[in-house]
Order: sequence, then structure tokens, then C-alpha cells
Amino acid sequence: MSEIKDFNCTYDNSAGIHADVTKELGLTFPDAYLHGDTMAALSKALRRHDGAAFCELPFCHTVEAEAMGGIINYGNEKAGPRAKEYICTSVEELLELPEIDFTMGRIQEVLKACEILRGQNEQVVLQVSGPFTILNVLIDAKYVFKAMRKKPELMKEVFRKLGKEVLRFMEEAKKRGVGLLSYADSPGGVNILGPKMAEQVVENFTYPFLKKAELLADGDMILLCPKTAFALLGTGKAELRDIELQEPMPYGEACIRMKGRAKLAGQMCIKNVGYCLENRIFKEVVLR
Amino acid sequence: MSAKEELLKRLSDGVVDMEEDDVAEAAQEYLDAGYPAFDGIMEGLVDGMNRAGQLYEEEEYFVTDVLLCSDAMYAGLEILRPYLPEAEGKAKHKGVIGVVEGDTHDIGKNLVKIMLETAGFHMIDLGRDVPLRKFVDTAREEGAEFICMSTLMTTTMGGMQDVIRILEEEGMRQQMKVMIGGGPVSQKYADKIGADGYSQNAVEAVKLAKKLLNIA
Repeated sequence: MSEIKDFNCTYDNSAGIHADVTKELGLTFPDAYLHGDTMAALSKALRRHDGAAFCELPFCHTVEAEAMGGIINYGNEKAGPRAKEYICTSVEELLELPEIDFTMGRIQEVLKACEILRGQNEQVVLQVSGPFTILNVLIDAKYVFKAMRKKPELMKEVFRKLGKEVLRFMEEAKKRGVGLLSYADSPGGVNILGPKMAEQVVENFTYPFLKKAELLADGDMILLCPKTAFALLGTGKAELRDIELQEPMPYGEACIRMKGRAKLAGQMCIKNVGYCLENRIFKEVVLR
Repeated sequence: MSAKEELLKRLSDGVVDMEEDDVAEAAQEYLDAGYPAFDGIMEGLVDGMNRAGQLYEEEEYFVTDVLLCSDAMYAGLEILRPYLPEAEGKAKHKGVIGVVEGDTHDIGKNLVKIMLETAGFHMIDLGRDVPLRKFVDTAREEGAEFICMSTLMTTTMGGMQDVIRILEEEGMRQQMKVMIGGGPVSQKYADKIGADGYSQNAVEAVKLAKKLLNIA
């Protein structure tokens, strides 16, 4: 088996909110992060500003955790929503957290924003978070790492629960016409977990989760963070299949064109909007 | 091996093996046997943490392992520290550490703090999502010699430059060393924003701090 390579997050483009964009829209923060219509307007303005092929939602990685009870600091125009304080001090408590209710709260507004943008014929990339990102809002990571070593069966349950909620979120987004579902979990990268634990996570969570998620990719696509793609490739759970494009094009544009032909992508970070596939090779991630 | 040496080895091994309960038990036995707390800390707990750091450097251990080792070390410290003699040796070099405003990923920061403390620095941990001015204000109030900042997010990297700017505005830049780190951060970025140094991991951070402060 080959080793899991890491991918460095060094993009420098559409990440973040640009003051000139928000000024034009007359939005106030953090209010703009809380409502479907303002989220949609902001996302569209950022898409135009960045010259991207798609709109991205949401503007943070706290939506799922908040919907499960996490406490969020909504931030301002400079720094977006992030975790405020932890609500759990043991992994057992995580299993007691409620299922997500998609008819209320900010997660409902995110879905509403997706719907608005799709109604305007915009391509939407909905970013969903993996378990380590969600847990980062809910509990101090040290409890998670300790439990992974000392209570692996319990952690499998936690991952199963979180995976189920993320899948439900993806399904809800799909119902609203979102065709590009982006999955990332950078706090669970090999650089943090180390190769042994990263492999364990692929085996116990990522691979079975994505086997289910790829069923949602009929006609649509799941975009994997390259960290996740490398973890799958490095553990032999996936391989790459080259698909030739007609002409060089930005990665985001290629993902849109490959919808229906490829289920999973992951050769570049989707936030790297300037990244161009000069060699006309789109690499599909094929799960084994 | 003397009884004291055996207990010191248990403390050190317990830290390396991440056995929090064993370390606490050995620390209590060590105290009950009347041995000095200082030796227990330095030759037992810190020795174990240094071994863990070595394993980390050799890529035998990873971030998660070292964090669990540190939990074991702190379990022992909690028992031994109250028995340290009042008289302090020479003052420790003081630093302020935190994750910049907007970001809450603190695993790397915690690790750097632990390794710096193990190396003998006095670290003031501001936690995560730290308002930028707080780095400067705390450094001034506490008489710190260096500031360590980290972030995992590209969206919050700019905060590091703002802290350097505030230090300049307050006339503190010359006296304050600034170290940065985190997923998207690089030496190139450190050079760009005028930080004194970048380190890729916690072990390198200790070396960098010693170099910047001219500590042998």
C-alpha cells in the first residue's frame, strides 16, 4: 500500500469576504450570514468578483455543527462564523446530540440560498464538512483523539452519526437543485492525524461514507478536498481515471462539464478558482 | 537501578506511552517515597515529553500522539508541582501564544505551547480566535519577549500581519520576536509580512524560539 500524501492549503483567491463586494451590496454583518436572500446575494457577488464558474455556500464550516447544538460566533465582514465554545466534554455526549432539523435555523437559510441561486440559473457548490470539522465546533479535539485510541468502537458510532447527518444535508441540498457537493475535512488531514490514524479514519468513516454519498452523484458531482482524495488513494480505496477535456479550462468549469460523467473529483481544491487544467486532463476519483 | 530511578523511568515511560493514569499513580508513589518533586518533573515527566518530541521529529509519533503524551505529562505535573520549592531559579523566557482571530483550529498551537513549555519557556496561552490587539496588549502587560501565532485558515492569515503592524505602531516591534505557523503558512509568507520566523512543526518551533532569543 502506498502512503497517504498531504495536500497543502495554499490557495489565495476566493476565500474570504472582500470589503469592496460587501460595500456594493449594502449588506451588514454578521446579518448577511444569517438569511437565505442575503447569503445568495453575497455568494453571487463573490462569484462575479472572483470570476468563478460557480457560487459557493456557505461562508463557514459551522452550519452542520450549529444545527446539532453548537454555539457559534457569527463574526463580521472580516472573519466569518466560527465556533464560540464547546458544548461537549465527553464523546459520549456527542451521541446524545439531536439530529439536524432542516426546517429551522441557519442550515435552513443555507438551503434557501441554494434554492434562490439555482432559481437564477447559477451553478452552486455547497460545501459540507466532515466529522473532524464538525467536532471542532462541538468538543475539544483532545477528547476525540483520546477516544480514538482508547474507545475506538464508541468513536465509530460518533462518526456514523455525523456521517448520517452530513449525508442528509447533502440530500436536502440535492433536492434544491445543488449539483456540486463539495466535501472537505481538513482538520482530519494526515498532517494532523498521522498516517496510522488517517488510515483508520478512511477505513472506518471516509470510504463507507463516500460509497453512500456517491449515490447522490447521479447527474451531479461530489467534489473532494484533495486531502480526502489523497487519503483514499493512499489507502488503496480509490484510483484515478483520466478523462480528456476538449480544451484547457479552469478546474471549476471542468467539474461543471463533467457532471453526469464523473461522480467524484478531487485533483485540486475547488477554492482555487484560478487553477487551469492546461493539459486537458480531468481526473475522476473512482472508489474501489 | 535505584528505587528513585525506577520511579523516574515509570514517569518518563508513562508519558511516552500516553498512560495518564499510570503517570499520576507513579507521581504519587514518587512523592510518597520522599523524592524531590523537581527531579520528578525534569528527569521523569519532561524527559518523557522530550522523548515524545524526538519520536515526533522522527515521524514515529504524530500530532495526536504528542497531545496525548502531554495529557499524561500534565497529569503528573498536577501532582508534583505543588511540592516544588518556593525559590525559583533564573526567570524563564516568556512568550504569548494563540490562534489568530477568526480561526478556532488550535491543535497545532497547543502542541507548540506544550513543546515550548517542556523546553522551559513560560507560555501565556491566549487560546483560539484571539482578538489581534490582545496579542500585543498581553505581551506588553506580561513583559513577553516573543509572540507565537498560528492559523489553519487562509482567510485569517492576514491577522498575523495586522499584529505586526500594531506592534510597529506601538513602538514594540524591535523588542518583540514574532513567530508564525499553521497549515497554509510558510517561510515565504513569514518573509512577506515581516515575521521573525516560521516553523513547520512544534519541534522546529522550539529551535526557532531559542535561535531568535539567542538561547543556547
